[in-house]
Amino acid sequence: MKDSSSSESNKFQWLLLLSVFVVATCGLIYELVAGTLASYLLGDSVTQFSTIIGTYLFAMGIGSYLSRYFKNNLLYWFVSIELLVGMVGGFSAGFLFILFEQIVYFRLLLYSLVVITGTLVGLELPLLMRILKDKLEFTELVSRLFTFDYIGALFASLLFPLILIPQLGLLRTSFFFGALNVLVAWLVAYRFKAQLNSFAKLQWSAFVCLALLVSGFILADKLTTLSESLTYPDPVVYTKSSPYQRIVLTKKGDDFRLFLNGNLQFSSADEYRYHEALVHPGLAALKNPKKILVLGGGDGLAVREILKYQTIEKITLVDLDPAVTELFRSNQSLKHINNNALASPKLSIVNQDAFVWIRSCAEQFDFIVIDFPDPSNFALGKLYTLAFYNQINKILSPDGAVVIQSTSPFVARKSFWIINETVSKSGLLTKPYHCYVPSFGEWGFILASKHELTQSNSYPQGLKFISKNSVEELFSFPPDMMEKTSLYNTLNNQVLVNTFEKEWAAYIK
Amino acid sequence: MISRRDFFKKTIHASIASTLMGSLHSCTPSISYTQTLSGPNATLGHRLRSMDFGSIQKKIETEIVIIGGGVAGLSAARFLKKNTDNFLLLEIGEETGGNALGGSNSISSYPLGAHYLPIPNQNDPELINFLEEANVITGYENNTPVLNEYYLCFDPKERLFINNYWQEGLVPHEGVPLKDRDEIRRFHEEMNIYKNYIGIDGKEAFCIPVARSSKDEAILKLDTITIDQYLSDKGFTSPYLRWYVGYCCADDYGTTLKETSAWACIHYFASRKGKAANASSDQILTWPEGNHWLIKQLRKTVIPNIRHQSVVFAVNKKTNGFSVLYFDAVNNMSVEITTKKVIMATPEYINKRILEDSSNISTNLDYSPWMVSNLTVNGSLTEKRGETLCWDNVVYGSQSLGYVNAAHQQLGASDKKVITFYHPVLGSDTAAIRKRTQSRSIDFWKTTVLNDLKKPHPTIEEELEEMNIWIWGHGIVKPKPGFLSHSTINLERKMNNIFFANSDISGISIFEEAFYNGYQAAQQCIKSF
Ligand SMILES: Cc1cc2nc3c(=O)[nH]c(=O)nc-3n(C[C@H](O)[C@H](O)[C@H](O)COP(=O)(O)OP(=O)(O)OC[C@H]3O[C@@H](n4cnc5c(N)ncnc54)[C@H](O)[C@@H]3O)c2cc1C
Repeated sequence: MKDSSSSESNKFQWLLLLSVFVVATCGLIYELVAGTLASYLLGDSVTQFSTIIGTYLFAMGIGSYLSRYFKNNLLYWFVSIELLVGMVGGFSAGFLFILFEQIVYFRLLLYSLVVITGTLVGLELPLLMRILKDKLEFTELVSRLFTFDYIGALFASLLFPLILIPQLGLLRTSFFFGALNVLVAWLVAYRFKAQLNSFAKLQWSAFVCLALLVSGFILADKLTTLSESLTYPDPVVYTKSSPYQRIVLTKKGDDFRLFLNGNLQFSSADEYRYHEALVHPGLAALKNPKKILVLGGGDGLAVREILKYQTIEKITLVDLDPAVTELFRSNQSLKHINNNALASPKLSIVNQDAFVWIRSCAEQFDFIVIDFPDPSNFALGKLYTLAFYNQINKILSPDGAVVIQSTSPFVARKSFWIINETVSKSGLLTKPYHCYVPSFGEWGFILASKHELTQSNSYPQGLKFISKNSVEELFSFPPDMMEKTSLYNTLNNQVLVNTFEKEWAAYIK
Repeated sequence: MISRRDFFKKTIHASIASTLMGSLHSCTPSISYTQTLSGPNATLGHRLRSMDFGSIQKKIETEIVIIGGGVAGLSAARFLKKNTDNFLLLEIGEETGGNALGGSNSISSYPLGAHYLPIPNQNDPELINFLEEANVITGYENNTPVLNEYYLCFDPKERLFINNYWQEGLVPHEGVPLKDRDEIRRFHEEMNIYKNYIGIDGKEAFCIPVARSSKDEAILKLDTITIDQYLSDKGFTSPYLRWYVGYCCADDYGTTLKETSAWACIHYFASRKGKAANASSDQILTWPEGNHWLIKQLRKTVIPNIRHQSVVFAVNKKTNGFSVLYFDAVNNMSVEITTKKVIMATPEYINKRILEDSSNISTNLDYSPWMVSNLTVNGSLTEKRGETLCWDNVVYGSQSLGYVNAAHQQLGASDKKVITFYHPVLGSDTAAIRKRTQSRSIDFWKTTVLNDLKKPHPTIEEELEEMNIWIWGHGIVKPKPGFLSHSTINLERKMNNIFFANSDISGISIFEEAFYNGYQAAQQCIKSF
């Protein structure tokens, strides 16, 4: 008799201690999620993490204090609060993702969520101590409870960076732990339904919570594409916020990917396609190219291709952001990818706004590579205007050529042809072409010159994508990438930005 | 394939993130920025009132004297220069420009007054010719001018903060009830009729310059009532429409609905018929420093003829012409010029004071005082939702006119910017209002500006680095009902060898009027030899 009751109370005890462990793990995970999110979104990770964790611990204190007001039905409260922790914590990341456009309230929301989770978690431990106080000797109780609490914390802090973020991403991690929380709550309730007079109610609540969290987990991808800029599919190996943009480098196996403000710039697995296609059809067609200008393209990958021509004497690279050129000049793995192109003695780097620079430029160039980000806002749209191309026309030598990355003619068909129309409006002859880059999809370029260009018969050795035969195909457009337009982009109408936004929005939908 | 799928959303996020970073950094509670309060020709202007210029210390001669170096004076000078070099332009300021002055700091140049020019109407050949000279018109396509892309206002042009949201364009629509939107549409339809209306004399009902508008009585009748009356007569009651029309009056003339001649208000909507090959007729030309850019172009050829810091205090008739007396503040002495002809490019309230024979000078012109404030802000302004920063940014329901972003016409990215805030001091008792305006403290203006800007930009004070307040005592002439008959009289006013050029005699003070009156005066002056 005594034995069975003691084994019963043992089970009771272990289950509750397990839930301490889970609560502790989950609680810390939520804070790590909040901290990561805050440092992604707000920058300055040291400040973010320390204020978040600090707030969280303080809120736990509030919770502990508040626990005195719970007098009866302790088990019932324990389970309900655990359900609540699961819901609040589980949805917190999703919530923050969706709502962080509400700038004014974002930090308020963030810290409110931290305070709520902290308070709820802080309530749990004292409640549990009181539930167990008759079942265990005090010394035992304190020792076990805190051991489990701290082990949970260790578990969480190791799990989070090593497994969870790389495998699940921020959103799924928080949904997953939310669900775990709810499950344990239900388990406790189920095991002790005899002692709970409102078990049915609790079970139903748990059920609903679980269903919501699981659907959150499943739909997390949708949510991510909908509103986040920050969960990258691969492990992040480098991040930096320059005054101009957020630079993120990810790595998976041998594949490096560079993101600027969340936009994929290249994947090292297939960037050769893009950069060979960008440079060679134009450059190889020129007689004796000497002076080259690269606008944008601070990654040095276009420069790497350009350096394959012996005649070249001087390359000028103009990129707004010194943080990008510096990264690609100094980082070992990246230097490997661009073949240390940015260290070439033929190259000079100018960190300035390209529009400002070309307006005051007095030189002429034989080949100009324009590799700007897509025209997704008015500031970028300026770099695709007639005024800009008129200036390009001026600094292009009579026998030279210019090539412009021009977004995807498949996804943003109209946009592509607007760029083409704008370039021809500046008086240049255009030859649009496109190629397939697996990580991007169909991508388009516009080659332009003052005289008709004929394609070269020979290309530098060792190219993996461009060859005499493959080039010809690039210049033919199937009907699904063709569009007639008379619209052209100017500083005062920016039709491109508006069109581009619509086309990509439709594509994402 | 994560690809470039959702990048534009991301770009939005990134900019929000950077805004957040910005606001984090600016959490410091101490707010410190430099501030100044000034206005045009404060000291010399005062002396003009007391007339203590001492005795004449130097005498010179020239054929023609232009008094005043605003748009009108410089336009006259530019025209004269093509015919003679024997003239002087006297300007009280350290720099020419008048109401189209500009300033600059390490971030940007910015306007202190006039800041834009509409697409030029094609029936003003002299203006067209000047704009060609200045490379504003770069060529023609099918006989339509091609305007310099760098000088056309970049897209996005304007936005209105209404119902806690930045909507695109200034005509209220976001959250505006259907009934009101209907009324606004009806109003614009009516304005469109006036735009194309031809009077019985075969002239356009509303034309720039004003002098070329039709004298059809049916149209001139509109000058006998206020625009407020006009709106009531036509059953326009929507508060949104009334705000909008009121905003336009305040923006162009510094007047309220109850003060503005209906003709003048309609002129604003119905006179801009300019065409360009690469811009629609509602677009405008602008520069970081506003119309001060045009000033620099206008004065290019005449700089040797200009005498700065030269305040004219008397124009007296002589047997064979005039004696123009001015105080040369550079050399601190009074000078007498003997001249054959005088072009008065100064406003009427100055003419009244300095002309010996001022019996013809109108005394019934009123000028609205203005406060213009330039604010240097660091980082991106914290924004409410909606349209991104535009050239012109207006807050619905405000007494002020919002602000213009000087950096808008710059090509490069810059993290700091200068914004120019416009505030006409409204009210009908102009003299009293002017006095009050000129005695206000810098703190008063600071509060006025910041209270208004805090609505859309709650943390602007923390982002502020510099704030300059500029007061125009006599800003813009008010076109009150009946102004057209004065305008006709003033424009046709003939005085022996004195020619009037200031924009205020048109009754509508805009660049085109000043420019037109200036070259008209110069043309007549040359002809009269
Ligand atoms: C705040 C503000 C905003 C405006 N915005 C616009 C706009 O966007 N677009 C537009 O078209 N118009 C605008 N205007 C109207 C502007 O007044 C006209 O465009 C134009 O600049 C008027 O030129 P003006 O030569 O006729 O007169 P003023 O500019 O007044 O020229 C008179 C000149 O005479 C000088 N002077 C005065 N007394 C003497 C003296 N005794 N001796 C010597 N010199 C003297 C003055 O210093 C001044 O330079 C604005 C005006 C203000 C005040």
